[in-house]
Amino acid sequence: MNNSPNFPLRVVDGLTLPADYRKALRPGEEWKDANGFPRQLPRYFYEVPSWDSAMKVELATHFLLWEFIQVDVREAPPLRTFPRYVPCAITLLAVCLERFREAVGTLVHISANGGYRSPSHRFSKNATPHAWGTAANIYRIGDTYLDNRSAIERFSLIARETLPGIWTRPYGTPTGYAEDHLHLDLGYVLSVPRDVKS
Amino acid sequence: MTEKEAPVKDATESAPREGALQKEIERIEKESGAKSIAVALKDFETGLELHYNSDRWFHAASTIKVPILLGVFAAIDRGDLLPHSRVHVRNRFLSVVEGIPFRVESGRDANSAVHNAIGKMMRVDELAYHMITTSSNLATNLLLAVIGPDSVNKTLAELKLEDGIDLKRGVEDELAFDKRINNMVTADGLLKILVMLAEGKAFSPALSRRMMDILHGQEFNQGIPARLPKAARVAHKTGEISTVAHDAGVVYLPKRKPYVLVVLSEWDPDVSGRSRTIATISHTIYEALTQRPMDE
Repeated sequence: MNNSPNFPLRVVDGLTLPADYRKALRPGEEWKDANGFPRQLPRYFYEVPSWDSAMKVELATHFLLWEFIQVDVREAPPLRTFPRYVPCAITLLAVCLERFREAVGTLVHISANGGYRSPSHRFSKNATPHAWGTAANIYRIGDTYLDNRSAIERFSLIARETLPGIWTRPYGTPTGYAEDHLHLDLGYVLSVPRDVKS
Repeated sequence: MTEKEAPVKDATESAPREGALQKEIERIEKESGAKSIAVALKDFETGLELHYNSDRWFHAASTIKVPILLGVFAAIDRGDLLPHSRVHVRNRFLSVVEGIPFRVESGRDANSAVHNAIGKMMRVDELAYHMITTSSNLATNLLLAVIGPDSVNKTLAELKLEDGIDLKRGVEDELAFDKRINNMVTADGLLKILVMLAEGKAFSPALSRRMMDILHGQEFNQGIPARLPKAARVAHKTGEISTVAHDAGVVYLPKRKPYVLVVLSEWDPDVSGRSRTIATISHTIYEALTQRPMDE
């Protein structure tokens, strides 16, 4: 369903998935964000058949698919095993992170639970762009751990200067802030591949 | 050890030895400079039990990790977790006081294995191993964040182990410490857990064995094992903060059934000799139970 060379993943309509997946992914449903605004969840997903394929598929020159789908025991059980499903907008995030990597000139590490996680993940209390596949939590850039104000604000500024429209979470401890990672996201982007029936 | 193997003894048979041990521990306590010492003992070989000050509550320090280990394996037993389930390693926790975030200082863990995995994931069984064997505070709080203190307390209640264990929070929650919201234990409380583990009755013999295997990996051996014969194998957990020093474990010796020993102690912060005192009590009990000095 796509014509990119070297991109073997099949696009699936979340509404056609088995019931346990639909319950966990909630394709196309509305979900309120922290301010009470309804957001529409992704309906179309790339199907990732195995960890092996996740380790091979390049979403960008320096980012492989596996880096975006590391989730722990807090993820809904059906979504911890393969096949896994990741929103199609994940490719947009990967391109942004590639551009960010160029700007910082070194490795950018996405944390566990810090790429795509489903609306059923125990961290997902309100609508979060993580469930759209458009957010990344970065805990380390090169040898620098982003666990202090100086590092977080420095790289946050680079991200905002490099990626038009990107949103970064401010440094701090209250809800909505971050103090042990850099959170950046593209917002609630829905990606609908052109050859699916919407 | 199974229930069938447990010796049935006349309670009066061990009374003189118990009395002598009580006196000896009293003497050690007086000479040690400790503010308070508690000892609980159950010997599967002779049936002897000793309860010295054993219902007194102490700050649990890292001995609280034994009930947490039990809570983790309860989640495994229920199927909520698998030993190889993965947990995101993140050094950010919420205090029980107003939910204020705090971090675990890396210097307080005996090795850097868990801290080095920040941002990545570790398996539940790896974290449990580090929580016990090197007393990793980061591993402890990560596991407790996954299962929840309520779940541990529910497990303790279901196993009728709640008397003598009061789990309120994770470790290194300094705000809670300042407000005296602490995890507390009694020697009897820890004894009951270790007896259950040694008897293979915690969830299943297989899961009990796995917990005992982890406790056997303990790397801090200055307490109960320090003055035991080389052939002794001790599955145990230590705990130490500025004002307490504890050790709780199961002692396996050749050609006899094991015994469970818990030594809790409270100290003024500037008084030394804590591990030595625990080792002395352990040695005294060893000699009393085996009725031979160690060099025989």
